[in-house]
Amino acid sequence: MALGPEAVARYSRHLLLAEVGAAGQERLAASRVLVIGVGGLGSPAALYLAAAGVGTLGLVDDDRVELSNLQRQILFETADVGTAKPLAAKRRLDALNPGIEVVAHAVELCAANAESLVAAYDVVLDGSDRVGTRYLVNDACVRTGRPLVSASIHRFEGQAITVLPGRGPCYRCLFPAVPVDGGESCAEAGVLGVLPGVLGAIQATEALKLLLGVGEALVGRLLTYDALALEFHAFPVERRPECAICGERPTITALRDEPRSCEAGEGVSSLQPAELARRIASAAPPRIIDVREPHEFSAGHLAGAHSVPLAALERGLAALDAGEALVFVCRSGLRSARAAAEARRRGHAVVANLEGGLLAWRATVDPTLIVSG
Amino acid sequence: MASHRVRIASPLRSYTAGAAAVSAEGGNAAALLADLDRRYPGIRFRMIDEQDRIRPHIRLYADREELRSLTDAVPEGAVLHLICALSGG
Repeated sequence: MALGPEAVARYSRHLLLAEVGAAGQERLAASRVLVIGVGGLGSPAALYLAAAGVGTLGLVDDDRVELSNLQRQILFETADVGTAKPLAAKRRLDALNPGIEVVAHAVELCAANAESLVAAYDVVLDGSDRVGTRYLVNDACVRTGRPLVSASIHRFEGQAITVLPGRGPCYRCLFPAVPVDGGESCAEAGVLGVLPGVLGAIQATEALKLLLGVGEALVGRLLTYDALALEFHAFPVERRPECAICGERPTITALRDEPRSCEAGEGVSSLQPAELARRIASAAPPRIIDVREPHEFSAGHLAGAHSVPLAALERGLAALDAGEALVFVCRSGLRSARAAAEARRRGHAVVANLEGGLLAWRATVDPTLIVSG
Repeated sequence: MASHRVRIASPLRSYTAGAAAVSAEGGNAAALLADLDRRYPGIRFRMIDEQDRIRPHIRLYADREELRSLTDAVPEGAVLHLICALSGG
């Protein structure tokens, strides 16, 4: 496929690079990249890949644009609030580069669709905001042999690693299991708006290098970026022979959905705030376990709640009677869902999670409750 | 005893009053983390489980050398990097 006059002008700065040139630009035009998570990371990554002339861009996200996204998710504008993210992103990217095809997948990535989605693309970028999705994407890429560029962020810090299945460590080699608390999302921990710009641009860079076959991919190295110190570090990462997905004897033989943080785990009941209020007022109130950090607890908490920060969860659970009714709470219900699932795994019989967390409690039961953050 | 610079992963900085880098003493991972925990109570448990294993979402490096167990030595002058899986996107 020869480049037309419009493409020659549009990509002229690429054509000047011997590492790209006409052949490389044509290769990009014939390439397909899947961006999972159209958020802080996916925004800059998709913008740069569209601008670079990647022929087909797939965008996976089941969220809608919110006003709080606009501080960092530079694909979107104020008028997009309420629109499905992949659809709003497609409008923006179509306008940026009408010569490429943008495919909006407005679905949640899950075990049932991950492999077929990933297999339809040449390179996958993971910028999802859920730790369970990170493992699902990794596993789907390993099983289909698709290169993966994974990145993640927290407050002022970011990480990135490129996975070439069979030729280096995968994300499970790097971090074999999900932390008990599922990690904090940007909604819980906050994030400097420009931080994902740096990491998303690195993901786009890696994707272009892989498609063009130039440079040294970030394989077998974990890149960390600290925006406050303005420091980059690259740490060596090796394949783990015992890795559950890419090791010598994989134990994951089919994709599985990691429990979503916001859903109750097996054996954990999900309590609405009004129901919790009723139980607290009953003759046999449950024990309320607040798993937030101590500074969040001290700012305001439910009367009678016990503070057991996630860091002390194992010790805290060990000190409780396994038959006692427990209700876990946190700010939004995410961390407490993980803690509740852990309590079930450790043999506690009656475990519930406050759905929507203390924010929901404040909204529906007690507007005077101070909820930190 | 050798004092080491310790770089703290973002999710663990709630223990160090927000500090990105602190100091701790010790010749191996166990001693360094014990000293770190004396200075910042609770931080060790976020990285090391009750069987003294490094938690699966944590990696420890002395400069660019990965520490795979608590008995691994930390050479004099090496910076200890505490790396934690991040999940935001």
